[in-house]
Amino acid sequence: MAWLACAAPAHAMHIAEGILPLPWAVGWFAVAVPFVALGVRRLNALGREDLSIKPLIGLMAAVVFIISCMPIPVPTAGTCSHPCGTGIAAILVGPLLSILISAVALLIQALFLAHGGLSTLGADIVSMGVVGSFAGWFAFRGMRAMGAGLGLAGFAAGLATDWATYLTTSVELASGIRGDAPFLPLVGRIVLAFVPTQLPLGLLEGAMTAGMVLLLYRKRPDLLVRMKVISQQEGVVHA
Amino acid sequence: MRTIIHHQDATHLLTRIDARVKLFCTLALLVMVLSYRGLAFPLLVAFLGTGLCLALGVRVRLLMARFAQPLFIAAMVLLLKLFTSGHDPLFSCTVAGLEITGYGDGLREGMQIAARIVGAVSVVALVGFSTSFTETMAALAWLRVPRGLIEVALFAWRYLFVLYEDAMVVYHAQRNRLGYAGYRRGLSSFGTLTGALVIKAFDSSQTITTAMVQRGYDGTMPLMRHKPFRLTEVAAALLVVAGLGVLWRI
Repeated sequence: MAWLACAAPAHAMHIAEGILPLPWAVGWFAVAVPFVALGVRRLNALGREDLSIKPLIGLMAAVVFIISCMPIPVPTAGTCSHPCGTGIAAILVGPLLSILISAVALLIQALFLAHGGLSTLGADIVSMGVVGSFAGWFAFRGMRAMGAGLGLAGFAAGLATDWATYLTTSVELASGIRGDAPFLPLVGRIVLAFVPTQLPLGLLEGAMTAGMVLLLYRKRPDLLVRMKVISQQEGVVHA
Repeated sequence: MRTIIHHQDATHLLTRIDARVKLFCTLALLVMVLSYRGLAFPLLVAFLGTGLCLALGVRVRLLMARFAQPLFIAAMVLLLKLFTSGHDPLFSCTVAGLEITGYGDGLREGMQIAARIVGAVSVVALVGFSTSFTETMAALAWLRVPRGLIEVALFAWRYLFVLYEDAMVVYHAQRNRLGYAGYRRGLSSFGTLTGALVIKAFDSSQTITTAMVQRGYDGTMPLMRHKPFRLTEVAAALLVVAGLGVLWRI
């Protein structure tokens, strides 16, 4: 009840340092590591063809870090929260590299801002990096395959990234703090607690991602063509 | 963002210790804090950690900013466990016609988690305040963390502040033109801001690569080289970890 009354502001997308007991912290690391390894493998493969890929992914990680530090006012809660930013990364560079980007952004946040933590890095990478990136990427590609415009597909990607991240965070939190309490009702309560902020924030993140994609299309369609977000033909039509 | 930039006291003993040794101690302490069932050990670690942060010259305000979010979450978990978990009623009251019961065993569990959060955050804050990012990355590379991840992190760190400055310039320009007056307009401005950052990142990556290639960049970044381990540091670290290990067992 208190959780509901306080309608969690701020940085709830990261699971705080120390909240997960050791077995769960290690377990989530075990889930995250193969995905990060795949991301590194993809980065190395692309790096052999294009030397600018590592600086680009590094700079994208800095952008995701900055985006996820920006407070967005949430009208229903009367407070601020912050977006994931992984949706746009997944759209532009694909889900595997987006996982790597999230891992780096989360590591810096854990070390220097105490948002998330080292012991919970695995869990945070799984929710924001793995689930968030794949949800955003599938939503974007799925919508595009169904003939949706860039704006609508971008909106769906932002929305899916945000909500999928929070759903996973709820499961991770419940698994870590449940003690003897039954698992599913606790997940339900935590999801319910996130609703006042995350329901509107997901919509805001969707709108923001759509805005970003449309801005890129208007100003720099060449970048979208280079990252294979739109076809060469679409880029030429726009130019 | 200001809380990231901390000018370390370079003369302090903790700052001069090998980052690998500090990382080893951090991981050992985290394992102990996370696996402890009770309040005493995590609170002791929290006391030591915050004390050492203050000894490093970290301002109280900065320390409070670093602890604000974890403490908020700790309080939320405590309340959640108190009211929704447990079988042993501690008190009950009626709020707006709704019967609310607090449970003693829920409170104990909540306090344990809260203590774990405070203890673990203190350990990581201490290593964050006493070690530079480059040293931490070099230590992680020594621990066989994939090189690709380390290189991306180094690029991110190097250009984080540049991009942040750019973001602030755009943000203030938007604010001066009432770009954040109202949700709809604010959201559109925020989308433009982040889109501009993405464009900047793409363009900068090209410029940076060209400049780096001219200086001999072949796709791998050189990392900081470690000096050999100092026996006194390793011995002292083992002693501290062993001492705390004994307390953890008790």
